[in-house]
Amino acid sequence: MSHPDVETRIDAYLDGELAPPDAAEVEAHLAECGRCRRFQADRLALRAALEGVMPRREPADALRVRVRNAIAAELPMLELPARERPLSLAGVAAPTAAARPARQATWRWLALAASVAVVAVGSWRLGAARAGSLVLADQVVASHVRSLMPGHLSDVVSSDQHTVKPWFDGKLDFSPPVHDFAGRGYPLLGGRLDYMDGRPVAALVYGRRRHVVSVFVWPAREPERDAAPVTRNGYHVLHWATPEFSYWVTSDIGLAELKDFGGMLRLADSATSGARAER
Amino acid sequence: MLPHLGAAHGLARHLTGNDADADDVVQEAYLRALRHFGGFRGNGAAQSRGWMLTIVRNTAFTWRRRRRPEAEAAEFDETLHSETAGEDFGEELARRDSRETLAHALGRLPPDLREVIVLRELEGLSYKEIGDVVDVPIGTVMSRLSRARQRLQAALLAGKEG
Repeated sequence: MSHPDVETRIDAYLDGELAPPDAAEVEAHLAECGRCRRFQADRLALRAALEGVMPRREPADALRVRVRNAIAAELPMLELPARERPLSLAGVAAPTAAARPARQATWRWLALAASVAVVAVGSWRLGAARAGSLVLADQVVASHVRSLMPGHLSDVVSSDQHTVKPWFDGKLDFSPPVHDFAGRGYPLLGGRLDYMDGRPVAALVYGRRRHVVSVFVWPAREPERDAAPVTRNGYHVLHWATPEFSYWVTSDIGLAELKDFGGMLRLADSATSGARAER
Repeated sequence: MLPHLGAAHGLARHLTGNDADADDVVQEAYLRALRHFGGFRGNGAAQSRGWMLTIVRNTAFTWRRRRRPEAEAAEFDETLHSETAGEDFGEELARRDSRETLAHALGRLPPDLREVIVLRELEGLSYKEIGDVVDVPIGTVMSRLSRARQRLQAALLAGKEG
């Protein structure tokens, strides 16, 4: 790789836009090239500086009002059919064939505006929660990567869920759900204790071909949810919360595969939590 | 009730360089969006944001051609430096200095480089989404981002040394 080419790729790597094999190649190059490591450090400094220069500024209410008024002024020009006009305008113009697409457009726009308004209210409430969530996603990936360093993967090495589950007894104040998916290509490799979100948690380790999938579980302190997947340095992170547990799942396998695996976990969890509830 | 107003305003501010023009562009963009909503394909917040930002970007370009043809000619100056040397004024001043240098350099990037860096750093769009807004292939997004960062970095360095 020539250096200008490598530098473009380091940018893409830092943006989380490289596929795992390409990311691995960049990492290997960074490990042996001091010049590129300095380049990477400079870029990280630039990113930090840019954040200070491009603060997220809420638009002024004046702009909101102004745009809304402009839209309101524009709406009558869109030739709404008579029955949708304000009463005072009814009968001024007969509806024409040309009015139909315009009317549809208006409706779709308003529908979009309404749906996004709901999202906006929701995200205003969830804003703080989401920021916390992103920090946690970083923790999850960091812990996963640390665990891949030699000798850190598992405290208890066993493919038997009946060995792994009791191992957590007395180490955690909850009993994590442990399942084996060897039959479906995700054998249980073991488990370990970890510390996340300010509490001890269970980390379960699954294999997928030559890759490792980490599953972090702890009792839910958040409402039931299903978060959008995020990607950090080539690792995908899934997160959802059941009424009982918060789940964080990460690996460098493909996102589609990881989602499949997430689906299996959820299914297994809902089956066992149903059983628990019946007891 | 106005979807993506924050994102639209943020992009317009960086593309026009000042708040008053940004407000004009945003208003014009929303009216265009309203008129052309039939052209919107897709659903979901992320897609409609991309669509809205595309309109803001195109509106800003029309605005620039109409109002400030000389702005197109503004070229980035690699020897750009800040007016005061940070050395004697302590670290905080140096930091503020480099921020001003960077903001200035950002404003002086050619439009095609400025828009990709703003979409990436301010809005956090993926390369694919940026490519859709700017209407160029992902490879071009990647190389423009790299060039934009290279220039900002050079300006930052020149600022420190100046």
